[in-house]
Amino acid sequence: MKKLFRAVCLTIISAGMVTAGDVTGKVSFSGAAPEMARLRMDADRFCRAAHKSPVTSEEVVVNKNGTLKNVLVYIKGSVGKHSAPKEKALFDQQGCVYIPHVLGVQTGQPVEIRNSDNTLHNVHTLSEKNPAFNAGQPIKGHKLTKTFEKVETFKVKCDVHSWMGAYIGVFDHPYFAVSDDNGSFTLKNVPAGEYTLEAWHEKYGTKTLKITVPATGKTTAEFKYPN
Amino acid sequence: MQHVAAATPAAAGAHHEEHAGFWRTYVFSLDHKVIGIQYMMTALLFLFLGFTLMMLMRWQIAYPTRGIPGEWFALLPAVIGLAAVAVGAYSKRRLTLLVGLLFGGIAWLVWWMVSDETLFPEGIMLPELYNSFGAMHGTIMIFLGVVPLAVGGFGNYVVPLQVGAPDMAFPKLNMMSYWSYFAGGVVMLTSFFVPGGAANSGWTSYPPLADIATTGQTVWLFGMVFLITSSLLGSVNFIVTIVQLRAKGLTFMRLPFFVWAQFVTSFLLLLAFPPLEGAAILQLMDRLAGTSFFLPSGLVISGQVLDVAGGGSPLLWQHLFWFLAHPEVYVLILPAMGIVAEIIANNTRKPLWGYRSLVYASIFLGFMSFIVWAHHMFMTGMGTVISTFFQTTTMIISIPSVIILSALIISLWGGSIRYTVPMLFAIAFLPMFGIGGLTGLPLGLAPTDIHLHDTYYVIGHFHYVVAPGTIFALFAGIYYWYPKVTGRMMSEALGKVHFWGSLICMNGIFFPMLIQGLAGVSRRLYDGGTQYAHAQNVLQWNEVMSISAWALALFQIPFILNFFWSMKKGKQVESDNPWGATTLEWQTPTPPPHGNFTSIPEVYRGPYEYSAPDAAKDYTPQNVP
Repeated sequence: MKKLFRAVCLTIISAGMVTAGDVTGKVSFSGAAPEMARLRMDADRFCRAAHKSPVTSEEVVVNKNGTLKNVLVYIKGSVGKHSAPKEKALFDQQGCVYIPHVLGVQTGQPVEIRNSDNTLHNVHTLSEKNPAFNAGQPIKGHKLTKTFEKVETFKVKCDVHSWMGAYIGVFDHPYFAVSDDNGSFTLKNVPAGEYTLEAWHEKYGTKTLKITVPATGKTTAEFKYPN
Repeated sequence: MQHVAAATPAAAGAHHEEHAGFWRTYVFSLDHKVIGIQYMMTALLFLFLGFTLMMLMRWQIAYPTRGIPGEWFALLPAVIGLAAVAVGAYSKRRLTLLVGLLFGGIAWLVWWMVSDETLFPEGIMLPELYNSFGAMHGTIMIFLGVVPLAVGGFGNYVVPLQVGAPDMAFPKLNMMSYWSYFAGGVVMLTSFFVPGGAANSGWTSYPPLADIATTGQTVWLFGMVFLITSSLLGSVNFIVTIVQLRAKGLTFMRLPFFVWAQFVTSFLLLLAFPPLEGAAILQLMDRLAGTSFFLPSGLVISGQVLDVAGGGSPLLWQHLFWFLAHPEVYVLILPAMGIVAEIIANNTRKPLWGYRSLVYASIFLGFMSFIVWAHHMFMTGMGTVISTFFQTTTMIISIPSVIILSALIISLWGGSIRYTVPMLFAIAFLPMFGIGGLTGLPLGLAPTDIHLHDTYYVIGHFHYVVAPGTIFALFAGIYYWYPKVTGRMMSEALGKVHFWGSLICMNGIFFPMLIQGLAGVSRRLYDGGTQYAHAQNVLQWNEVMSISAWALALFQIPFILNFFWSMKKGKQVESDNPWGATTLEWQTPTPPPHGNFTSIPEVYRGPYEYSAPDAAKDYTPQNVP
């Protein structure tokens, strides 16, 4: 009897452990990479001195391997209930640019907004569903922690330095990623099932794919921009 | 304060409050003297609060990267509060106790704010808090401090006495006016505690920013409605009192110049404030009711088109605002000129030079003040024709100002000058107002205003007029009329320390502003201009100005101590007229009882019969046949 009970428990536990898979892929870019405007930082001595070479806009960043960086990829819609992670997401201001340029966070996850520059920045969120705020950060090392409770993707800007801009995507699940320097993304432990995978780019907009996540293993997906 | 048993009412209209309890006697009183004192005490507290905000700002300006030692800024009001509470408790004086508690409240407010890491991370003032302090400093000083003191305080107490009336024409309206002011003050104070803090769009509250600003702006607008209502109620009262309640024989041309000044001031308040009250309600509607009186179509804010009806005009607000706010500056200066005139005549022991010129100049000044407002708007893109009109009227309005200043200066000539503390402040007012007025000329001419608009030059200009100008006159008035109100003299020694310290420090604060402004340093910069190349050569003045400001605060201690200490321990007056003055307020018992005069006064002569050749004494009061 005890052996039967143990076997049933193990079966149930193993079944729970192996019903999620990863979604990996890349975001490719076809055609010539558009030339990005140079960011003119002359208005602020600190910003000007922070860069030895010219800094260009990150609106469209085409990697050397012909992929697109800074694309937010996520499962569209809700995927079960998830509690907010306690780990803080970092949104930094270094050399008068936002790092990262695109950040994904979960609803309720603390976001630490840090000023690593020795100059005044102010963080101004242009959110519509989440309460917008506009907070000054006058000193180096100043930290501000905020949470966002509603799903949306919004722009963040600095009212002191007009060239600064970034995006924050807020999701009510952990299945999101931002394409990196290789154009790759990975969504880990997505529960098995059929989903709509969406990619969002600040200039080229959204694209969707239907995917099926198996009980184990990986699913791959590729988004092609701009068309 | 001495308590004189209420005299038999001397004239019709006196009210019977002999047996009124504490609340009807000291809180909800209908007596203009009590109301005047209420205005004065409330206004002095607000002046101190507004000054405290500026002292905090001055740390930020002088040392933008160094944390503020908040405990030192809270210490001054805390010490004053503790001392007043101790004195009040020991001598069972409720007013002193109350004032002590209120100073303690200011100390607590400062401490609470500076200790809040979300407002002062590592002790450094956030820019948005700086904006808030700046807006509230201006609002508090003008609408809660100087005007209530100059008009509500001095006007209420002195005008009925000087016209020989038993009280104001409408005592209940008078009381309502004070409580409306008080309510406005409470509303303004609560704005510090709402989410987003107090108003931060400048005391000028310009849209579109003010229309979309944080909640504190809405509270500010409600506060302004109360304050403007208070001024409107008061101005009606003053005008009717001066016109209708003058004693027999007191013709208009026998009125003390102080009364003329308050008379013109009241017309300015009556006619200029309604547009601003209307505008405040319109702005409230923009913020709360979805209207767009001041919001244009297609307004892009932070890269997004604002979702409003549109069709409005931000410039409309500027017109409505400055239509009040220019006459408002004459509201700030006229009572001060009136006070200075009284004190100069009294302490030179000779009549004012050019009394009629002073009167006509004041009336002309009042009239002109309504047609110069757009000199605050030269940079809004106005055409040359309209700009020429406003430059011309602005140059013309300097003429009556100069006439008044010149008459006061010439009044000193040949006088037997007594350098009493009120006279020291009154004399100092003259060159300080002169600097303030002269520095206004390049602002009133559009070509030079292009360079100077919105720079520290503007701040230096108007502070010279209001701070070592009006506030010095108000100090003079306090020292001058204190013996009539309390029956005791304030200490001359402490007064002289207060005077010299304040004079030096005020110049230390405001003169460098003119230098910085000429160099192009903009106003409303939370870091004093450190980010700007053109400011680098004049940045060192920030520290000088800040230290002067803190020193100015310390030099107010002798005044505050003197004010409260002298109420009980000051030298008792030997007569009802210790200064040997001619005007009617000095011909009453000390302090004046309900109904003011023991017999109905009759006036036989002008207001400044000093050193008349055939007179027995060197002064002849107005009510002496």
